[in-house]
Amino acid sequence: MSDKFRYITLISSLPYLGKLFSQKSVPVSEFRLRERLKMLDDGHKDLLEKVISVTAWAGVAKLDTDADVVRLAETVIDAVHEYPALQDLVRVRMETRTIIAALRRRQHGDQSAGDIHTWGYGRWRTRISDNWSDPSFGMGHFMPWIAEANGLMRKGDHIAMERLSLTEVFRQLDRQAATHAFDFEAVVIYVLRWTIVQRWSTYNGEAAATRLRKLIDQALKTAPDLPGPPLGATQQEEAPA
Amino acid sequence: MNEFVLALGWFGLYAPVALGAIGSAWGCALGGSAAIGAMLDSDGGYGRFIGASLMPSSQVIYGIVIMFTLQRETMSAEAGAAMFGIGVLAGFALMYTGIRQGEVLASAIHASKAKPEIFGVSLAPAAVLEGFSVFALVFALVLAGSIPT
Repeated sequence: MSDKFRYITLISSLPYLGKLFSQKSVPVSEFRLRERLKMLDDGHKDLLEKVISVTAWAGVAKLDTDADVVRLAETVIDAVHEYPALQDLVRVRMETRTIIAALRRRQHGDQSAGDIHTWGYGRWRTRISDNWSDPSFGMGHFMPWIAEANGLMRKGDHIAMERLSLTEVFRQLDRQAATHAFDFEAVVIYVLRWTIVQRWSTYNGEAAATRLRKLIDQALKTAPDLPGPPLGATQQEEAPA
Repeated sequence: MNEFVLALGWFGLYAPVALGAIGSAWGCALGGSAAIGAMLDSDGGYGRFIGASLMPSSQVIYGIVIMFTLQRETMSAEAGAAMFGIGVLAGFALMYTGIRQGEVLASAIHASKAKPEIFGVSLAPAAVLEGFSVFALVFALVLAGSIPT
């Protein structure tokens, strides 16, 4: 099967992910997604893994320093030289990360950007450094989300901040997806979107588990003391029968 | 020179069928690939996906109709030149619309899998392309009437 037809079949076999934050769970499981991605040839599988390794949080979390992340990004950008859209995607994602890292550093009390070339990436490093005291690093007129992110960080609203950053990343993916319908780039964009939806659904799961634990604790505190052996002991006695 | 024009005439006579078949094959393959993919992710509605993917098969039929209309009892230099012009250009029009139809059908199948209610509307671009094929057919037939026998 030629690449063109293979990608049409693959993309058509992947379910619609819906709008961001609209799904409580991913429409396709990781296992099933991996099964579908077997339609890719080995070279493309390798490139996909490389792009994911630098764009998904799980990939960069394994690295020790920001400089390692920057090096990895440069390696991946070189590896996908045949796909300018993917290069652009990785670059823009790294630039977004640099802006968020700068916001965090400033919130943490850093008085200047320091040597931004060791922890930052991309076009905006000098601008961030020169406009350190500006809420949007002098980029608010074309990236209004930075001022919003700055406000959320100051308020300590981490959930809203996460939503905002994921929305921005989703928007970047949408922009690239507009010109790629049935090709390798479209597959990569789908997988990156899936990663974001899956990450958000995991957060929801954790929040639900925490809430459930709190409710159980509350219920146990208010429950009356009942006579007789503990429930676990009764089950153990009944089991052999 | 006369033989060359006669050869071109035969070329033009068969061009609508050959180029139409290429367009249909390519278009059906594009639509069919999307239909197969969509079936992997759907629990029903397979028939309509496959049905839509076969829409570009009309181009080769139009090509056959044009070929029979252009055909004359004997091939002359005058008729051959006309057949070449009409046949080749009509053939290219059929091939191009067939391929493009396959592409929009693939998109339609993909989109209607996520939102089944848009299935009918999503076929509108493919229907418009079908209209362009019909234009190529009809005007080839009209011009074929003025070719000397």
